[in-house]
Amino acid sequence: MTAPDTDLICAIATPPGEGGVGVIRLSGPGAKNLAQSFIRNKLHSRQAQYSRFVADGEVLDDGIALWFPGPNSFTGEDVVELQGHGGPIVQQNLLQALCTRGARLARPGEFSERAFLNGKLDLVQAEAIADLIAAKSKLAAKAARSSLQGVFSAQVAQLAARLLSLRVEIEAAIDFPDEDIEILQQAEVGQKLAGLSEDIHTLLRQAEQGRRLSQGLTIALVGEPNVGKSSLLNALAGEEAAIVTAIPGTTRDLLKVDVVIDGMPLRLVDTAGLRESDDAVEQIGIERARQQIDSADRVAVVLAATDLAKADDKANVLDNCIARARAQLGTAADALNANALHIVINKIDLHEPVLPLVKQSQTQFSLVSATEQKGLKEFVAALVNNQSADAEVATFTARTRHVQALTRVGSLLQQAQQALDDQAGPELVAEDCQLAHQTLGEIVGTISPDELLGEIFSNFCIGK
Amino acid sequence: MDFPDRFDVIVIGGGHAGTEAAAAAARMGAKTLLLTQNIETIGQMSCNPAIGGIGKSHLVAEIDALDGVMGQATDQAGIHFRVLNASKGPAVRATRAQADRALYKNAVRNILEHQPNLSLFQQSVVDLVVEGDKVVGCETEMGLVFRAQSVVLTTGTFLGGRIHIGHEQHPGGRAGDAPANALAARLRALPFRVGRLKTGTPPRIDGRSVDFSELEHQPGDDPRPVMSQLSRRDVHPRQVHCHITYTNEQTHQIIHDNLAQSAMYSGNIEGVGPRYCPSIEDKVVRFSDKPSHQIFIEPEGLNTTELYPNGISTSLPFAVQLQFVRSMVGFTNAHISRPGYAIEYDYFDPRDLKHSLETKALEGLFFAGQINGTTGYEEAGAQGLLAGINAACRAQGKTPWEPRRDEAYIGVMVDDLIHLGTTEPYRMFTSRAEFRLRLRQDNADQRLMDPGVALGLIGPKRQEVYAAKMRALQQTAAQLAKTQVFPATDLAQALGLDLRRETTLQECLKRPEISADDIAKALHMPANEEVAFKALQQFEIETKYAGYIKRQDEEIEKIRRHEGLRIPDDINFTQIAGLSNELRQKLDHHKPDSLARAARIPGMTPAALSILLVHAKAKSSALVS
Repeated sequence: MTAPDTDLICAIATPPGEGGVGVIRLSGPGAKNLAQSFIRNKLHSRQAQYSRFVADGEVLDDGIALWFPGPNSFTGEDVVELQGHGGPIVQQNLLQALCTRGARLARPGEFSERAFLNGKLDLVQAEAIADLIAAKSKLAAKAARSSLQGVFSAQVAQLAARLLSLRVEIEAAIDFPDEDIEILQQAEVGQKLAGLSEDIHTLLRQAEQGRRLSQGLTIALVGEPNVGKSSLLNALAGEEAAIVTAIPGTTRDLLKVDVVIDGMPLRLVDTAGLRESDDAVEQIGIERARQQIDSADRVAVVLAATDLAKADDKANVLDNCIARARAQLGTAADALNANALHIVINKIDLHEPVLPLVKQSQTQFSLVSATEQKGLKEFVAALVNNQSADAEVATFTARTRHVQALTRVGSLLQQAQQALDDQAGPELVAEDCQLAHQTLGEIVGTISPDELLGEIFSNFCIGK
Repeated sequence: MDFPDRFDVIVIGGGHAGTEAAAAAARMGAKTLLLTQNIETIGQMSCNPAIGGIGKSHLVAEIDALDGVMGQATDQAGIHFRVLNASKGPAVRATRAQADRALYKNAVRNILEHQPNLSLFQQSVVDLVVEGDKVVGCETEMGLVFRAQSVVLTTGTFLGGRIHIGHEQHPGGRAGDAPANALAARLRALPFRVGRLKTGTPPRIDGRSVDFSELEHQPGDDPRPVMSQLSRRDVHPRQVHCHITYTNEQTHQIIHDNLAQSAMYSGNIEGVGPRYCPSIEDKVVRFSDKPSHQIFIEPEGLNTTELYPNGISTSLPFAVQLQFVRSMVGFTNAHISRPGYAIEYDYFDPRDLKHSLETKALEGLFFAGQINGTTGYEEAGAQGLLAGINAACRAQGKTPWEPRRDEAYIGVMVDDLIHLGTTEPYRMFTSRAEFRLRLRQDNADQRLMDPGVALGLIGPKRQEVYAAKMRALQQTAAQLAKTQVFPATDLAQALGLDLRRETTLQECLKRPEISADDIAKALHMPANEEVAFKALQQFEIETKYAGYIKRQDEEIEKIRRHEGLRIPDDINFTQIAGLSNELRQKLDHHKPDSLARAARIPGMTPAALSILLVHAKAKSSALVS
């Protein structure tokens, strides 16, 4: 049994962040040829080759290229590693250049999957590989949700609905020509196709801007009222971004700040204190906090050292706090990967001797003082390094996949338009539209031919 | 008593599925018996007297390519032929024929009676002979036991059939024929999931009571198409017109006022009817803003005055039928010769079948036709053909033939049924076929000749016709590739081309504005060169579709790889870690045997497929080591 897909795949293989080394891995037939097209020096089996990475005359990066011919490679296929610089923009540009030249973004866990299917990993690891694929897919799905939020998501859904109704017309005309039904004239089909193409291009431009604006991890700060979430955000952002007072429930709405810490772009979201409240405005804030947590890559649960010191059950104080935070997060916490929750204990300046209390706990935590600017860097590093490669790559990949899918939809609709203009036959227009719809389905969910027929039957009186 | 001869294949039922099944098994050399309640009704068209139509004539072309019955019988009985979608492209062009019922029945019976290896026997079957988990024969109502390696069940609407007209209801398999209730009761005791479906027919009308001067006439096409590759136009009998009338607001009012008396609206019917073939009650209710519906009046035959008004199937009481029929133009004095009715019948969930149409529960038992939840002669015939082939394969120790979705509409239909089951009578539409551009009428023989010959299905005459077609196609391709067209020559002008540099005819044909007709004219091809002209047309189709077909190749290649990835039989889908509960249940329900089939289960994701694959690999490797 070999892998079901044996096409060429690529992905970023290293954690994100400026500086250091960023590795992009390619696996599958043609990996060497594709990589070779980016570098001037000839690749030799298992030899490091220093070169510039050039596409269309533009230098994207420089670094080391390594070619491992299959089957003696990680996946058992031809593998090339491009080791360049670690900046997210640099890596994403290189990845996109690879994708426009025949490679495809790897599915979550696909490198390991191929390695396993090609006998490169032990059989006893099957369970672990399956778990890995499941976990990474969950992350990717979550990333897709967050990258698809708001207007973008609504617009894609609306595009899919319009494409469906156009296909209903085209397919009804093909399958029911003898029925007494009114179907779209060719000119109207052309207008609808043109409208769809135009809106896809607008959407692509927006998606591209969105990609530039928000590259980083989204980190939600949650916790009981008055543990110092806003102070922490201010400390990290280096300015008075949130109103900080000593009255519980001051932050009634969300506050977002984009910062770059150690070369790592981050979006920090301060959420309203999670607590039962009778105040209607505050309740809205709490509800938004829950939504924000649902789409965040990381959730930092902020605890106050002063509260910990007052707890009754000191031996289990941290675990109890986590359990309480999870309970308050409710369904939002279920959606989070176990590693995405990070504990941060604030106000250690007010209660230094908190450490012995929490030492027994298995959970990882950071100690900070927002007011004294202590432990902040370590906190961010812990937050980002703690398996963050998954989330960052997943978010980027999800967005890139959407852009790729939309680009393909756009070009298929143009082909449909061309077929229409050439009077090449409605079945060819239908063919392009079917593929376009299927491609859009990768984002919004596919529909089956039977569901399409169902739409036809509910729109037209078929059956003479 | 036991019948003294043993058979390879027994087919129960003499409808469109049964006749194709019996003929196919016999063509393959299997000693075959066709058992029917009534030899006189073999090849009977129970519903409207038409064969073909969009998607359906594609199935007929496939049956015909495998040397089946339906195409040739239609040509011998067709009294009105049309090409549908003539203005659209070749993939969706279809042929439809009105058939004379009596001529059609005669043609089918004639083909069966001349088929070597095939015997007919008239007797109702009441039981199957089951040994362990194998079916080894069947028993008739007089206690006669027939034994065979394979049994094909094609009982149509006869299992537990119940006819409804208004509030009246009675058991029946078709108006005038008894249902097969003993067999239905017996089958319900076997481990199959059973459901109920419904279909309807319109009242038939005596043509002598119709004022044709008030009706729209619809003549057949000229030149007339043929259904079978083996037929020539001159086998067609005399041709007649169809007619069209319309319902009106008065018609709709009558139906509205009497809805409570309709069997379908009074809650007497549990079965689900087809969405694409609604009763007139349904149309009036669901599309209440439409002031009028088209009624297509089909002749029942050359030697009968009966007409089939397609579009007013109903289960209203007879008195109301008469009233609404007479409200329509041309029908003011119409005489109803047979009332319309709705019929409910048992079907077996096709998800309990293998792709060979053999049941999963009982070895040697095959189901084909309406028993699997489909509707239509063509759908039934195509399944019958496949079941007959695989019944014979089983008897002869051959691997079953399972056409793929990219090979044949038969493959699309069976795959749809077995994977997704059906909740309404399943009918073929071209939009069900994702590889529609390759599944055409014109290339059905090219798609199916190799497997057909390998199975031993194809007679010498068809092989000759096919060989001639392929020779002509090759010659055409060679001629067009080598014939050069120079700028400002007669040839370029004849094609209407303003060329800058020389090119070939083959290249010219790639242009959307150049057709096979243009080339035939430019080359002064004689009009009587039918084989050569058809080859030219075929070459045009292949040229114009080439880019699209190539694009599909990748997808098909991927599906084939997935098909090669078998999932072990003993895998426990409910225990697969990493999958959602919903997906585990779906997998457990469908029990896919390959990754390709798992991929077609609604809701499957690439990640879920990967996880499934990893488990399958671990399982099968563990078995080997």
